[in-house]
Amino acid sequence: MTRTGTTDLSKAWRAGGIFGGGLAVLIVLFFVSLCYGEAPIPLHTVIEALTQRQNTLEHNMVWDLRMPRTVIGILAGGALAIAGALLQAITKNPLAASDTLGINAGAYFVVVLGAVMFPALLHQAPFLFAAIGGLLAAVLAYFMGGGRAGSPIRLALAGLIVSMVLGSFTGALHIFYSFETQGLFLWGSGSLVQNDWSGTTYAWPWVVGLSVIAVLLSRQFDVLDLDESTSTSLGQKVGLTRVAGIVLAVLLSTITVSVIGPIGFVGLVAPHLVRLSGLKMHRWVLPGSFLWGALLLTGADVLAKMVHQSSMDLPTGAVMALIGAPWLIWLILWRMKLPSGIGGQSSMNIGVRSRKLPYGRLVTLFACGAVLLTVFSLMFGGMRIPVSDMLSGLFGGESTNSALLQFRIPRTLVAAGAGIALAVSGVLIQLAVRNPLADASIIGVSSGAGFGALAVIIVWPGLPVYVLPVAAIAGAAVSAAVIFFLSWNKHLNPSVVILLGIAVSAIGSAGIQVLIIQGSLWGSTGYIWLTGSTYARTWGQVTTILAFLLVLLPIAWWLARRFDLLVFDDSSAMGLGLPVRRTRLLAMAVGVLLAGGAVACVGTIGFIGLIAPHIVRTLIGHHVRRSLVLSSILGAVMLVLADTIGRTILAPMEIPSGLLIALIGAPYFLYLMYRSNRSKSV
Amino acid sequence: MKKMLNGLLLFMVFAIVLAGCGSVGDNSKPEATSGSEQTTKAAGPVTVKDDHGEVKLDKPAERVVVLEWAYTEDLIALGVQPVGNADNANYRLWITPEAKLADSVTDIGTRSEPNLEAIAALKPDLIISNTDNNAAIYAQLKGIAPTIEYDFFKGKGYDYDRMVEIFKQIAVATGKTEQADKVLNDLDQHYIEAKATLEKADKADFHYALTQAYTAQNAASLRMFKDNSLVVETLAKIGMVNDWKSDKTEKYGFSTVGIEALPAVQDSHFIYITQKTDDVFGAAMENNSVWKELNFVKEKRTYPLDGTTWTFGGPISSKVLVDQVVGVLTK
Repeated sequence: MTRTGTTDLSKAWRAGGIFGGGLAVLIVLFFVSLCYGEAPIPLHTVIEALTQRQNTLEHNMVWDLRMPRTVIGILAGGALAIAGALLQAITKNPLAASDTLGINAGAYFVVVLGAVMFPALLHQAPFLFAAIGGLLAAVLAYFMGGGRAGSPIRLALAGLIVSMVLGSFTGALHIFYSFETQGLFLWGSGSLVQNDWSGTTYAWPWVVGLSVIAVLLSRQFDVLDLDESTSTSLGQKVGLTRVAGIVLAVLLSTITVSVIGPIGFVGLVAPHLVRLSGLKMHRWVLPGSFLWGALLLTGADVLAKMVHQSSMDLPTGAVMALIGAPWLIWLILWRMKLPSGIGGQSSMNIGVRSRKLPYGRLVTLFACGAVLLTVFSLMFGGMRIPVSDMLSGLFGGESTNSALLQFRIPRTLVAAGAGIALAVSGVLIQLAVRNPLADASIIGVSSGAGFGALAVIIVWPGLPVYVLPVAAIAGAAVSAAVIFFLSWNKHLNPSVVILLGIAVSAIGSAGIQVLIIQGSLWGSTGYIWLTGSTYARTWGQVTTILAFLLVLLPIAWWLARRFDLLVFDDSSAMGLGLPVRRTRLLAMAVGVLLAGGAVACVGTIGFIGLIAPHIVRTLIGHHVRRSLVLSSILGAVMLVLADTIGRTILAPMEIPSGLLIALIGAPYFLYLMYRSNRSKSV
Repeated sequence: MKKMLNGLLLFMVFAIVLAGCGSVGDNSKPEATSGSEQTTKAAGPVTVKDDHGEVKLDKPAERVVVLEWAYTEDLIALGVQPVGNADNANYRLWITPEAKLADSVTDIGTRSEPNLEAIAALKPDLIISNTDNNAAIYAQLKGIAPTIEYDFFKGKGYDYDRMVEIFKQIAVATGKTEQADKVLNDLDQHYIEAKATLEKADKADFHYALTQAYTAQNAASLRMFKDNSLVVETLAKIGMVNDWKSDKTEKYGFSTVGIEALPAVQDSHFIYITQKTDDVFGAAMENNSVWKELNFVKEKRTYPLDGTTWTFGGPISSKVLVDQVVGVLTK
């Protein structure tokens, strides 16, 4: 990593290592991969099968089950890596890859949609569906990220948000059409299992052809590494090269998705490994990336096969995320040029409207809205409970039997309480990382909490219920601590914190996926709980969330004055005598605890902490105490509304509240990003 | 919280006003779907055993809500239709038409998140729930009506004894113990006849491996049933011998495997359940050299059963399984 002393000789050695060493490792992995499987086949039989194939079962297994799986791993890993290298060159963004730009998620969403809407057509042309989805997602992420003017971090953030949005749509399809899509669930995590050679024969001409084209065009991509004016002066084909590169990258990654599902991190990690060796020219970088992408994915698959459980395979994609996410952390901390200045460029004034509404009137308005909504929710939420019964339930003797008391009131209260906790947590976390686009789910705290709670459910199913919030808090605290510990030396730079959060979130989600599959919980309670559910909440959960709120809200209120100063940039705040890092840490701690409490009660519900504070900010500007009050009401309103709709419109089926929030919140968030781009460019 | 209380007060005002309009929203049908066809003779109090201990009912239950299909099937075998059942559409898709769910049965939502309000609206006098999916809402269910809950896979798993045990308790709860004894006796008689049929067809001590298979992603995913499963113990009653062994403890009584695991049982007979829409062993296997070279495929010893042959059911499913298997073996 030292910049000095990089002689030509050591460079040659490294290049040799990249190609020679890489190839050697890949060959070893190739054999290891052929040796691992459900049926025990000794090594000498594998070698025998390779050298002199006979029509025996073991030889057929090696050739027609294990070999296609290994070969598709090599092809897919290579394709994703080349796509990543191309995207990184085009966007000049070290964080670009088909997964960080939302291409994989887009392709997968359209494939799942196809499985529901046009199963026959999907069967004929899965690639078409995947390519359309991938292209749409890429375009969306590109424009949301500010187009050509967007900074690397913004683009990566936009891509990740697009992935989240599409992921929540896909989640909705999985829940509503669980029968039609059940075969796709494992695929959704990325799996290399093959029945025969058909997937490989379908993919290889594309992968090889497109990769060769990419290598042939490598000189064009070299030009993109120069700065804008120089490259333009070399000819007007830069735009054309960009388009060609994007098309190649999208096709390469979507052909992969259509065969093995969305797999992340290969495209991010492999090109960097190659570039680290000092190779810069694309005619070396592209083949090198292919080699190392193939190696990484095959390696991840071998690991997945090694830990094979009888219940189901571990998804290769989850293993890849567990390998790749720490890499992303390393990349952010040591290889990224940070945006200028300690505090970064992001400020809290994105999207603030100049016209402010009077605070008192707003509080009244919001409170009235909340009351009306609560009444609405209690009256019309459920079904088939005659009004007279409710009354007798409230006033009469048989109150324990009243459906209203038993079901609607506690779940409405839990929804309101969790909404408050999430919104306040959003206010505090946004202050802590000084970025209006942050909340507990984006900086990885929610998935940490979810992982903690789910681990307890699955590993120790016998434990008492009160352990769940403790586990969720522990999970949230660990992920927050990791993020803060790692970004401490970067002065808690907002962008660094968010990107680290995304990486930690990926690790948490991979862990959650592993737990779901190990506990065969897909499509069932565990999976629904993870998408966030206010289903069947009891007075027990009311007590839990109330305890969190009663302890933490006063602390937040008390600290609010100090937090107000966090809005200024760090040097001004320090000038005002504020221990900036400690204050941020404090805001973060309270925010994380609140989010953990919410996750313990309603699962991982995202976006409330993002949207509620933002809406309030557009209405009143910056004032932490006022924002706390208004955001709480708004957060409560949002979750109560989602709960009401979720239990009403498809009754007797329930729509998880978290899904509803995501379906509404995610597009709003995209709109926010889009607007913040415009306001910035002005 | 204050807002909530205010809301509550406001709601009460609303409700009082609305109460004047009478109970417009009342569409619970207290009598219409009361399922028992024969009136019960013994109407005294009954004590039902469940996994939590004992539940006392003043009289045998008539309006039963069921949250798991096996228990629905148990009820139907006793001649009782539930008033509410979870996920009717999929019940009809997966479970044999011989355990037919009446059209009058109210759908109360999914098995994992049944709608509590819908259950309460049916005014059941018994709820039968399943630990795997419903443990978290047990207390709430008990608040609606007396609830018996069983862990399907308690102890050795959902084997034959467990099936009979739960079936008998459901019979106690609904006052149908005589009916239950008759069903089980008939079933035993049925096994004896089926066994004789197999012997006559020279299929005594028939060796087999049974799977319920579906396609996950592009590849076959097979549930191979082990000796501790209901289906294997049922087929043992007609003298059949399961060849699928696994050292691992499998909670659900089956191992999930891929095609690679099949050579272990290739000299046996391969019986499989797949859905019509998911042709796991048909066209999908045309290019699979491993599948084509398996002895039971080469020697045409594969036997498809109907897609509605349910592997986690009650007495009717066991009867249908035997009929199906004897049918394909003696064709």
